[in-house]
Amino acid sequence: MKTQGSSEARTDLDVTSFSSLAEGLASTFRTGADLPWPAGRFEKLALQIFRWQFATNEIYRRFAEGRGATPDTVAGWEEIPPVPVRAFQRMRLVSGDPDSVERIFRTSGTTGGTLRGEHHVLRLDLYRASLLPSFRARLLQDDASLRFISLIPSPSEAPDSSLSTMVGAAMDAYGAAGSGWFATPRSLDVEGLLNALRSAEQERQPVLLLGTAFAFVHWLEALSVAGAGVRFDLPSGSRLLETGGFKGRSRVLPRHELYAELSDRLGLGIEWMINEYGMTELLSQYYEPGVGKRAPTPSLGPVLDSRRLVPPPWLRFRALDPVTLRALPEGQRGLLAHYDLANAGSVMAVLTEDLGYREGDGLKLLGRAPGAEPRGCSVAMDELLAAAEGG
Amino acid sequence: MSPRRFQAWFLPAPLTYVGGVEVFERGHELEIEVPLLSEDSARSLVAHLRRARTALLERPAREIARALGAAGARLLDPQDELRREALEVLPASARLSGPMARAVLDGMAADWSATRLLALLDAELHGGAALDGFLSDATGRRKRALAPALNVHVCAGTVPGVSVTSLVRALLTKSAVLLKPGSGDEVLPVLFCRALAGIDPLVAAAVAVVYWKGGSDEPLERTSLPEADLLVVYGGDEAVTRARAAARATTPVVAYPHRLGIAVMGTAAMDSTTPGTRSASGPAERGSALERSATAAARAVALFDQRGCVSPHVFFVLGDENQAAAFAARLAEALRVIEGQLPAAPLEEGEASTLQQLRGTAEMESAVGGGRVWSGGAASWTVLLGARIELVTWPGRVARVVPVGSVEAVLQALGRFRRHLQTVAVAGLAPATLELLSEGLARLGAARIAPLESAPWPPPWWHHDGLGPLSALVRWTDSEEGGR
Repeated sequence: MKTQGSSEARTDLDVTSFSSLAEGLASTFRTGADLPWPAGRFEKLALQIFRWQFATNEIYRRFAEGRGATPDTVAGWEEIPPVPVRAFQRMRLVSGDPDSVERIFRTSGTTGGTLRGEHHVLRLDLYRASLLPSFRARLLQDDASLRFISLIPSPSEAPDSSLSTMVGAAMDAYGAAGSGWFATPRSLDVEGLLNALRSAEQERQPVLLLGTAFAFVHWLEALSVAGAGVRFDLPSGSRLLETGGFKGRSRVLPRHELYAELSDRLGLGIEWMINEYGMTELLSQYYEPGVGKRAPTPSLGPVLDSRRLVPPPWLRFRALDPVTLRALPEGQRGLLAHYDLANAGSVMAVLTEDLGYREGDGLKLLGRAPGAEPRGCSVAMDELLAAAEGG
Repeated sequence: MSPRRFQAWFLPAPLTYVGGVEVFERGHELEIEVPLLSEDSARSLVAHLRRARTALLERPAREIARALGAAGARLLDPQDELRREALEVLPASARLSGPMARAVLDGMAADWSATRLLALLDAELHGGAALDGFLSDATGRRKRALAPALNVHVCAGTVPGVSVTSLVRALLTKSAVLLKPGSGDEVLPVLFCRALAGIDPLVAAAVAVVYWKGGSDEPLERTSLPEADLLVVYGGDEAVTRARAAARATTPVVAYPHRLGIAVMGTAAMDSTTPGTRSASGPAERGSALERSATAAARAVALFDQRGCVSPHVFFVLGDENQAAAFAARLAEALRVIEGQLPAAPLEEGEASTLQQLRGTAEMESAVGGGRVWSGGAASWTVLLGARIELVTWPGRVARVVPVGSVEAVLQALGRFRRHLQTVAVAGLAPATLELLSEGLARLGAARIAPLESAPWPPPWWHHDGLGPLSALVRWTDSEEGGR
C-alpha cells in the first residue's frame, strides 16, 4: 500500500538488520531538518532503536537492566537510560556486528586524562544522512553557493576526527568550486588562507569559513603578527561556522570578543557567524539558528556568550539533576543528556558532563561541569599515581 | 538571608588587626574574613611571638597542658556558647553535614583534654619534667628537651581540628607558634585560641592563627617561613615541597604528607554466622562478625567524609571472590545505614557530574570484566568490588574491595604506595597472620596498624607518621658529666 510521506507507518524501522534499520533512518533524515516531526515519531523511533540496542549491545543491555530499563518496561523515550560519555573511553560500544564497523572516531583526549573516547561507527552513510540536512538547514537555507574555506583538517589528514569527516561530507555535497583545506592537526596554512580569501574577494565569491574557536584564535594571532593592517572584505553572503570550546588550550577568549575580532578582520557581520555544538560521541549536531538574521544589538555580548542551540528533529536533550538524574524544568540548569537517533549503531542516549538548560525549543549551553577536586588529608589519586609510577 | 561572617584569625594580645580583609565564600551561608597583613605587620607579629615564648619557658609543662585542656573542654561542653558557635559554623566551613561536624569535633577535641595531654607528656617527655629543666633519666644521663622558639605550622586539608592538634603540640613543648590552618579548618583553631586567651593569657600570647591561601605569596608567608625555627607542614606533595623550599636549609621540617588509608580483612571477619547457629548461607545475621566488621568499615569510611589521613579507601579481603563479594554487599548496606546517621556533605555540581560518569562507567565495565558496583543512588557512597585498584579521584565516599590470596599479595599490591602509607586497619586476622602482615607493613614504612573499630581515632601518643608527635618537635640537650 503506497501512502503519502506523512504516513507514520512508513517510518517504522525495518529491524531485520542494522543495514535495513540504518537505511530506514537515513531516508527519514533526508526529508529534512527544517521542519518539526509529527508528534510521536521521535518517540516511536527512539523506542525501536532502544529495543535494537538492547538486543545487540550486551554492555548496554546489562547497563539498562541494572537501571531497571528493558524494552518491556520503558514506556517513553525519556526513560531510556543514558550512558556516561566517559564510557566511550573504556569500552567499545557497538549495537551490531563489530567487524562491520566502518570507521572509529576518536576524541582529542582531554576529558578525564589521557584516555581517548572512541565512537565506533557501523555505517558512515547514516552519519552523512544525519549531518547533511542539519548543516544545510542551518547554514544554507538561502541556497547560497559558498566556497568552503576550512581551518579544520581534512579527513585524510585526520581520519579519526568526526569533525573533519563532517566538514568533508558537507564540502563534497555543498562546496562551490575552489573549496579547500587550510590546516593540518599541527599547523595552520596562514599564507594559503590569505590567498584563498583574497581570491574570493576579487572574484566576489562568497565563502563559508569553518573552524574551531581554537583555530580561529590561533589564526587571529598569526594575522596580528603578520601586520595589523591585514583585513578582508568578504563578499556578501559569506558566513562563518565556529565549533567547539577551547578545551583548555590557547587563551580563553569570550565568544563575543572572538566574533568581534573576526568581524573586524573579515568584514563580516557578526550575525553571519554561528556556533555548532557536537561531540565525537554523537553523530548529530546542534546549531545556533538564524544565520544572517540575528539582529546586532548592544547586548550581543551576553547573548553570544550564552548560546542558544537547536537540534534537528531526530535529536533531543534533557537537562538532568546532577545528583538524582531527574529531569529539570525549563530554565533550570543541569547535566545534559542527549538522545540521538543517528547513534542507532552505538548508544543513542548519552549523559555528558556539560551543563545547560532548556529555553523554548532550544538548548542554552553553559559549559563543562568542573571536575572533582581532591580534598582532605587523603592523598590525591593523581599524586598517588605519580608516586606509584615513580617506583 | 545574608551569609554569616567569620573572622579567620587570632592574634595574641595586645596585637589587634585593623587593616583590610579578603573575604572567601564557603557555600552560600558563610563567608570567612582573612586579614591582609603587610610585611611590617608580619615582622612585628613574628617578633612578638618570639618574645612571648620566653615567658612560656618559665611555665611548667603540666600547667600548660592543663590550660590547653581547659580550652579544649569548652569545645566539648554542650552549655558553652563557644561549642555552639563551632557547631553552627563548622558545617559550612568544612563542608560536612551537621551530625558529621559534631562527631568530628567530639572526636578531635577528645585529644585536647588535660588528661590526654598529660598522658602524652608521660609517654614521650618524662611527664613534662624534661621540658622544664635538666633531669637525670634511669641510666643516669642528664638531659633536657627543648623545642625551638618559633614554630610555623602550615596546614592543608579540610579535616577540622587537625590544626588545633598541631598548635597544641607546639605550645605543649613550649614553642611559640604561627599557624596557618587548612582551607576548611579555619574555625576551630580560632575558637580554641579565643578560649585559651580567656583561661591563660600568657600561653595564648605565644600563638597566632592566620588563614591565608597557601602558595599565594602573601607577605606573612614570605616573611614567616624563613623565620621559622621549625616548620610543620601538612599537605599534598606540592604543598610540602613548596614549604620546604621557603624555609632555610637549616630549618628542621616535620612533614605530614597526605596518606592512603588501607584495611586488611581476614576470614574471621567474614563469618556471617552468630554463635549458636549453624546456617552459613543467606544474609548476615545480627551480631555476626561480618555485620560487625561491615559496620565498623562503613564507619571508618564515613568519618571525616573519608578525607582523613586515617580513612580507609581500599579493603583487601584475604579470601576468595565470594567472600569479598559478601563483604562488599554487607559494606554497601552498612554505608546506606550510616548515611542516615552521619550524612555526607552534599556534592557540588561538578562532583555530582563526575560521580555519575565514574559510577556509570564502572557499572558498564563490571558487565564485561567482572567486578561489581553498589551505588547509593542519590546518596554519594559507592562500593566497588574488583581485582584492580583504580587510581581516580572519586567524589563521595567510596570503598574499593579487593580479594587477595595471601599476606604476600597484600604487601605486593601496597609496595608502590609505600611512600603514602600510614594507617592500616585490620579485622579478623589470626595472630600469626597479623604478625606476618605487621612485619611486612613495618618494612614498607606504614606507621600504624590498628583494629578497624578504632582506626579513625588514633590514641594521642601514636607515632604520627612514625614519630612521636612531641618528639618530632623537640631537641635533646645532654649534659655530660666529666669522666665515665
